[in-house]
Amino acid sequence: MKRIEKKLKELSQDNQKAFVGYIVAGDPDLETSLELMHLSVDSGVDILEIGVPFTDPIAEGPTIQQAHDRSLENQTNLQKIVDLVGKFREKDSNTPIILMGYINNFLMYKDLINRSHDLGVDGVLVVDIPGELSLEDYGIDNQDLDVISLVSPTTSKDRVKEIVKNSTGFIYYVTLRGVTGSSNLDGNEIEKNIKHIKSISSIPVMAGFGIKNSDDAKLLSSFSDGIVIGSSIVELIYKNSENKDFHEVSDYISNMKDAIR
Amino acid sequence: MKDNLPDKDGFFGEYGGKFVPETLMYALNELEQTYKTLKDNNDFNAEFHKDLAEFVGRPSPLYFAKRLTEHYRTASIWLKREDLNHTGAHKINNTVGQILLAKYMGKKRIIAETGAGQHGVATATVAARLGLDCHIYMGSEDVRRQSLNVYRMKLLGAEVHEVNSGSATLKDALNEALRDWVTNIEDTYYIIGSVTGPHPYPMIVRDFNAVVGYELIEQSQESFGRMPDSIIACVGGGSNAMGIFYPFIKMDNVELIGVEAAGKGIETGEHAAPLNDGTPGVLHGAKSYLMQDESGQVKGTASISAGLDYPGVGPEHSWLKDIKRAKYVAVSDDEVMKAFHMVNKMEGILPALETAHAFAYLDELMPKMNEDQHIVINVSGRGDKDLNSVVEIEGIKL
Repeated sequence: MKRIEKKLKELSQDNQKAFVGYIVAGDPDLETSLELMHLSVDSGVDILEIGVPFTDPIAEGPTIQQAHDRSLENQTNLQKIVDLVGKFREKDSNTPIILMGYINNFLMYKDLINRSHDLGVDGVLVVDIPGELSLEDYGIDNQDLDVISLVSPTTSKDRVKEIVKNSTGFIYYVTLRGVTGSSNLDGNEIEKNIKHIKSISSIPVMAGFGIKNSDDAKLLSSFSDGIVIGSSIVELIYKNSENKDFHEVSDYISNMKDAIR
Repeated sequence: MKDNLPDKDGFFGEYGGKFVPETLMYALNELEQTYKTLKDNNDFNAEFHKDLAEFVGRPSPLYFAKRLTEHYRTASIWLKREDLNHTGAHKINNTVGQILLAKYMGKKRIIAETGAGQHGVATATVAARLGLDCHIYMGSEDVRRQSLNVYRMKLLGAEVHEVNSGSATLKDALNEALRDWVTNIEDTYYIIGSVTGPHPYPMIVRDFNAVVGYELIEQSQESFGRMPDSIIACVGGGSNAMGIFYPFIKMDNVELIGVEAAGKGIETGEHAAPLNDGTPGVLHGAKSYLMQDESGQVKGTASISAGLDYPGVGPEHSWLKDIKRAKYVAVSDDEVMKAFHMVNKMEGILPALETAHAFAYLDELMPKMNEDQHIVINVSGRGDKDLNSVVEIEGIKL
């Protein structure tokens, strides 16, 4: 069984919701990213989403954009990120890892991405490729890799059907109109749309974008299979990058995990 | 030669497409549907052409450049005078068309990105005319070098948002406009200013600018009794070039030449010439030639002209390059400045620095032409906006 499926199955058997945590690889540096990956898992993250930095990340708000810029100053690229995953796997062979980024970087490393499953990567989430298109058409065709797709409040019902068909692992439901780190969650709309996805497919649905505090986390986890948190974690990492004391990150993750229990 | 592209998925060969975050798909599909319906609607077209005639001042003249022709002593040089349009460039053709789409779609809020400021001014102009809320995104580096246009936009009632992220130029303004659109998707219409971006924009912007090419067919017939031998236009994103090229794509005997910005020289890497020195990649929703490094990161650009200072190019140009229907060359900042002065002194025309790139190619082209031939340069815009830059570059005290 694939690692993402296995992890989600275990959680659901325990009546638990999944916590997907996002960090940008190479922010503040790759060595610290490795430390932060382990720290996140120890504090309660179930699935790691590793951001691949891009010069022009159009779906990101300022917090994650700036993290991408900081990482790019360290010359982070996909080769180094896959190496990072390999190092993580030396100590942790259970936690699923998804690479999240933009198509232009993935196209440059097609062969590496196709081999990356053997190196410890479980899935890819390409932000700027519409979900009804298949990554296979662009040369990323390793069937062992899960392909996570986004569904948003503006996705039409017809398209939801197509997207769900082409997705494995889980569906990432974008909870708001906006970039990462925005606010204004509309609970009723989110609940309705996630119910719709669940009515046509058995694929798990994670809710993300705009989750800031434990109330948001609690609300969204009540009608999804789990939540995704990015900007808040990235912000806390940045705040503590100078002295590299990340207990605030760890505390934040534990609180969020408690909120969705 | 095919001129019925893009295909139904928005591709010109392998270029184009819709590479965008999921939230935008709804708006792009809505726009595509609306455009499909209105494109052949008589009322819509009548309104568009009335505005082009009465508000923009079309048709723009085809003017014989007598002294330039005498200077080179080969082919006759003709100028398609888009610089005489209202607001001073070809950009207004597209904004007049897209604001009508916005009106038919009932959108109340208009956003746009701008580099040189010409598209920002053209957008603010049409938004003012309809009393719509207008927001323009502009890189802080461009705000500095195009301060006159910034003031014009403000006079027109637009709010100008300075963008400091990335390289603080056109590509970053586009990123920020896309982020605004993702956030305000339902009530906002995004007027993209070039033949770039996700489908259907490259098609829509081309179609609205193609009025330039269609006029040229008639004017060439009237002025010299046949079609031109060569058409030259500068290429940044490529909207003025695409507009004048498009109706001629199927006329194989008309040579199409796009001139990119070689900046400090192609060999220095400091330029804005993806068709000359780039590789296929995906930026701002479309696959096209792109200036990027081996990791797929978009490279910084360098050009004397803010309007050409962009690492990508419209996907249809990438296709025309690959099928060898159009030829893409590049000229350096120094060659551009020389041409800028030449056109001022010999023709009494102040061209935009973008446009001066097209003139700068004459030195290379003209010796290969003969006296029976006719070439047309698309004078895409006028250069009043660039006077501050020119004064700064040449170290002149006013």
